[in-house]
Amino acid sequence: MIAPILMAVGAGVLIGLSRQVNGRLSLTKGALGASFWNHLVGFLALVLAALGLWMRAGGPLLPAGLGEVPAFAWAGGTLGVVFVASGSWLVSRLGAASTAMLVIAGQMVSGALIDTLRGAEGAPLRALGVAVILAGVALRSKG
Amino acid sequence: MSRPVLVLIALGSGGLLTLMVLCNSTVTAQAGPVWGSLVPHATGTVAAVLALAVLGRVRGEGTAPGWAYLGGLLGALTVMLSSVAANTALALSGTLALGLVGQAGFGLAADRWGLLGMPRRRATWRDLLSLGLILGGSALLIFGAPR
Repeated sequence: MIAPILMAVGAGVLIGLSRQVNGRLSLTKGALGASFWNHLVGFLALVLAALGLWMRAGGPLLPAGLGEVPAFAWAGGTLGVVFVASGSWLVSRLGAASTAMLVIAGQMVSGALIDTLRGAEGAPLRALGVAVILAGVALRSKG
Repeated sequence: MSRPVLVLIALGSGGLLTLMVLCNSTVTAQAGPVWGSLVPHATGTVAAVLALAVLGRVRGEGTAPGWAYLGGLLGALTVMLSSVAANTALALSGTLALGLVGQAGFGLAADRWGLLGMPRRRATWRDLLSLGLILGGSALLIFGAPR
């Protein structure tokens, strides 16, 4: 159980670390420039990973399911460019902890909103969770 | 820019992340985790090139150290780590919650010591209370979600 826990915490640390690294690059290249490099370098690494998997497992180079991906899902990369650019821009202005906590708050509250719109069960507990998060956001909103 | 505006932008960035995860997990469901990350990185690279062409490049002061270009490697690694962890007994909820703890811990350490050339900041008691509330509320949402 120790290994999965370390991996899950490590994934969170990596999110912060990459925002910090991109934030440093944005000081020289601008937030959009940092986002470009983030996506290009990640793309090249993932192409190598995909080629490695293909050489080991064989089969078609492009997964068959790729043609079945609904059109909206292709927008993820464009959203990612804005997400990485905004994170790089924010981290040099708000600091690492505030940026991380406010982005988490926005993610959690918007996720809860989508769940509610979809009519998912457990609305009272969800409302409580959102209220507690917003109290935390309010505390951080004063200079 | 005033602090409330920065706070709103950060919240909006988190909302964007929700939509992005929705898109990318849809690709993953069809094409597997590597392609679920490769596709958005490919389309994102093209989108960033177009945006830079339209909005123009920014030139800041000095040169960036070589490691500053490697943020994308960390992002690609994050996808792999979290998808492996989510397939253990931790499940998606445990992986998400522990990931938030990792982000909070890194953020505090990065500010405290000014890691990677960013400015140092000391956390106040108010900051720590805010951190506890946001993590606590998130835990309510993650573990209270119907499954």
